[in-house]
Amino acid sequence: MKVRPRHLIAALALAMLPLTACAPGSSSPAADKAAGTNASGCTSPETLKVWSWRPEDVAAYKKIFTSYEEKNCVKVDFQAFKNTEYNQILSTGLTGSNGPDVVQARAYGALQPLIVGGNLTDITGKVEGLDGMDKTIVTGAQGKADGKTYGVPFATQTMQVFYNKKIFKDEGVEVPTSWDDFIKVNEKIQGSGMTPLAVGAKDAWMMPFIHDIFGSAEYGGKDFRDGVQTGKKTFTDAKYVSSIQNLKDLQGFMPKDVVGASYTDAQVLFTNEQAAMFPGGSFELGFFQKQNPELDLGVFQVPVRSTSASQQPVSAAYADGNWAINAKSPKQEASLKLLQWMASKEFGQHVVDDLKQFSPVAGVTFNDPVMKEIWDLYQKSPAPYTLLVDFRYGTPSGTDLMGSGVQELFLGSKDAAGVAQKVQDGVSQWFKPTS
Amino acid sequence: MSLLTEKKPAAGVPVPQSKRPGPARRKGAAGRFAVSGFLWVYAVIAVAPLLVMVVSSLRTTREMARNPLALPLNPNFASYSKAWVEASFGTFFVNSLLVTVGSVLISTIVSLMAAYVLARSKSRVTGIIEAVFLSGLMLPVYLAILPVFYLLDSMGLVDNKFGLIMVYAALSIPFSVFVLTSFFRQLPLELEEAARIDGAGSFTMFWHIMLPLVKPAIATVVVFRFVPIWNDFFYPLILMRSKENYTLPVGLTTFFGEYQTDWPTLFAGLVIATIPLVVLFLVATKQIVAGLTAGMSK
Amino acid sequence: MVQADQLSRPKPRKRSPRPAGTALGWPATVIFLAPAVIIFAVFVLLPMITAFSYSFFDWQGTARGAFSGIENFFTLFTAEPFKSDLPRALMHNLLLFAGAMVFQNTVGLAIASFLYKRKRFKKLFQTLYTLPYLVSPLVIGYLWTLLLSPLFGPVNALLKAIGLGELAQPWLGQPSTALWVIVLVTAWQWLGFPILLYGAALGGIPEELTEAASLDGATAWQRFRSITLPLLTSAIGTVSILTFIGSMEALALPYAMGGSTGSPAGATDVLSLMFYRTAFESGASNAIGVSSALATMMFIFIFGVALAFTSIIRRRERKLS
Repeated sequence: MKVRPRHLIAALALAMLPLTACAPGSSSPAADKAAGTNASGCTSPETLKVWSWRPEDVAAYKKIFTSYEEKNCVKVDFQAFKNTEYNQILSTGLTGSNGPDVVQARAYGALQPLIVGGNLTDITGKVEGLDGMDKTIVTGAQGKADGKTYGVPFATQTMQVFYNKKIFKDEGVEVPTSWDDFIKVNEKIQGSGMTPLAVGAKDAWMMPFIHDIFGSAEYGGKDFRDGVQTGKKTFTDAKYVSSIQNLKDLQGFMPKDVVGASYTDAQVLFTNEQAAMFPGGSFELGFFQKQNPELDLGVFQVPVRSTSASQQPVSAAYADGNWAINAKSPKQEASLKLLQWMASKEFGQHVVDDLKQFSPVAGVTFNDPVMKEIWDLYQKSPAPYTLLVDFRYGTPSGTDLMGSGVQELFLGSKDAAGVAQKVQDGVSQWFKPTS
Repeated sequence: MSLLTEKKPAAGVPVPQSKRPGPARRKGAAGRFAVSGFLWVYAVIAVAPLLVMVVSSLRTTREMARNPLALPLNPNFASYSKAWVEASFGTFFVNSLLVTVGSVLISTIVSLMAAYVLARSKSRVTGIIEAVFLSGLMLPVYLAILPVFYLLDSMGLVDNKFGLIMVYAALSIPFSVFVLTSFFRQLPLELEEAARIDGAGSFTMFWHIMLPLVKPAIATVVVFRFVPIWNDFFYPLILMRSKENYTLPVGLTTFFGEYQTDWPTLFAGLVIATIPLVVLFLVATKQIVAGLTAGMSK
Repeated sequence: MVQADQLSRPKPRKRSPRPAGTALGWPATVIFLAPAVIIFAVFVLLPMITAFSYSFFDWQGTARGAFSGIENFFTLFTAEPFKSDLPRALMHNLLLFAGAMVFQNTVGLAIASFLYKRKRFKKLFQTLYTLPYLVSPLVIGYLWTLLLSPLFGPVNALLKAIGLGELAQPWLGQPSTALWVIVLVTAWQWLGFPILLYGAALGGIPEELTEAASLDGATAWQRFRSITLPLLTSAIGTVSILTFIGSMEALALPYAMGGSTGSPAGATDVLSLMFYRTAFESGASNAIGVSSALATMMFIFIFGVALAFTSIIRRRERKLS
């Protein structure tokens, strides 16, 4: 009877079971309640639980919060969870007991369920710094139905093309100023055996992204979006179809079998200098620099045709997310104070310097030359990332439709007009123009 | 699963013509060789991707991007230290061990007791109970995450390993009852009747007579619940808040997020996370196989 | 075995009279059943029923709204994207099941029958075959995605190296192969379980039967088909039901290999992915209502099929004995 090892394990486990029940979570409620801000010093700091979906930024945030902690007699307990699971963790966190106080929340459409469910505190008019921010960005923190503000945007993400300066120099090409130039640049790079565009179409979420990078100016950026909002335009508009066609025209310059290549494959291609260009978001900058510090990169906006709806190249952009207050938090005042600090220039500068993100706060300065270049381009000619900003308020979402639509485009099962029709049919299920 | 009782050959066995055994013996050697070959080929298929994982953990991302097929010329063990240090695998491992062993233990014990009764009883009530347990096999487990969370929240068991253990134990009952009941049903009634005649109480009968006979089933149930619980990342993700309470898979998913393109470190972490399970399985497999074959050849 | 004199001895009646049919007295029955019933009821049954009930309400985010009857179910069949996604996802689940059955009942059964008689390396083989099962499906999925990458994956590189370059394709990048890849990877991961179970079942077939048949000159195949196979019905039945449930509820592998949208272009979308997307990734405020309705329907479907299947198997078993 060889039961002895199992008996041992069983005994051990049984002995430990009562211990597991007694072990409390990380913070004991008793310490939290003893909040004290003395005028002179700080004897019992209040703990604020802050949640985020950026585990990559944990170290940087802990550093950033130390300055706030000292000045305000607060201890910030910062926790980050993986992006793809954050939504479920957040819903249970906001509805259960012992939840977080301040949370990162998604922007635009994805924010609405939390607002409608009453999970977030209304902060309209209570945070000064919001007035200085770009309107497109602040919309991301507002309720669609009630128009109230529920959060402080924490980052703007812009969309453009990153390019490898060294490869361009070796190939003898320059940053293109017209669409035809752009095609010629791609052809030249491809001619020498290098992949011109690092794109991975396996990850559907990236497809509406590159569509806006290569097509926003073609369909007219902000003007088009305003037109759709008021009902004067639809996604079957000729210029919108040709913006989708752009992707098909560029497919030849992307890796072969692009639908089988993943987003991370594309990132590796670019950081390994096996591809010349990477259409991507500003959030890639910090990542690229970390992966390959010797990579000499620059950015440019995709140039236009003479027939494009907008004659000015644009940088599409969107709010990445917001800082919001848990409606059930017992520390409303302290949380609001933290939010106000997060809309301040001080915090904004930290975001730029330590996180390499684009803070939407007015008046921050960029020391990294590439960051400055990205921001200047964006300021010169901004555009909203239409499908994400405006068309995620219902199911099916615009980004999902475009995501699988572009995959079908690359696979050859749909043409540009078909994809446009798919998007239009899908969003018209729930979207009503405003006038 | 009628494995132990003898059965008459099924009606329909063809009446074979008599053949001389000679040619069959010569074919035997070639046949055996083919069979061996087949087994080995599939063994390679089964294991090759995992070997690739181990090999890749010793290279660098650049090497892998440029030359997917090469062997690590300069084995790079830095990936392992990076994975171990940066990912707190020690704590996660202990948590996984506590949670998995705890829940498998509880579910196996309560399922054994329940299965014994269900196998022997003919009453309608127990029949219904058995059906309810079995329907638990078909429940999509992720569906109940919100209600389970609220339930544990009301008990104050969120971010508490005991809460997680109870949930896993409950989820394991259907499968355990399913397997154990069918094994119990195979056992002939005569043993119990003889024991009763000798005056044995229910518990004595259970402990001294029935249990030893279903050891192979117990081993099967233990292994096939241990693995999915050990590898589950969904429930601990929602029910555990603090890093000190994370189990290995949850720690791994955060790890994934940060090291998506740092393939060697990613693979090193995956290897580290899998090795304990392999070791545990190797230790247990002797028991399972011995038990299964011993139990069968009664 | 029971002997004649024991049968004639009167049985001492030490216990209270038992109700017809229970082997143990009622007190013992209750004690033995109670722990399992209580734990299961509290931690699984109650939450599940609560979750099913969610399907009958209209939700505002995480706040429950008005009772809406079967409206959520209606939405699944009439509103996009569910209307077109649902039948397609269901088809994929059924294909997963069919593929898994074929693989397990050919390769798996073959391996089990070769293995159970062997002496050499038997344990080694069993361990090797079961190894993939030990690794988390998420990990397996990511691993295979990397292996099959058309850019950096060793699989295509190997094919090109041995001269089979034309076979190198974007396995997970085209609808024609993507789902089959998932089928094969799922089968590859799970094969250990049927092999173990079939092996145990085969070990239970009395040797006298097969020996008698071979003495009479039946070939290996004839022996297999007429003796072994019918006696394996029960084991095959068990494996089939568990495979069906697993195929209908598959989530980790498709998620790891095709993402939550079932790339490419929905070719690997399965019902659980639909649930996951609807519950956690959509901006719709009624996400909980619709996703719960979907899961409730999945359960009813699985339950119905499993019930029908079990009764068929039981009938066959009774025919054999």
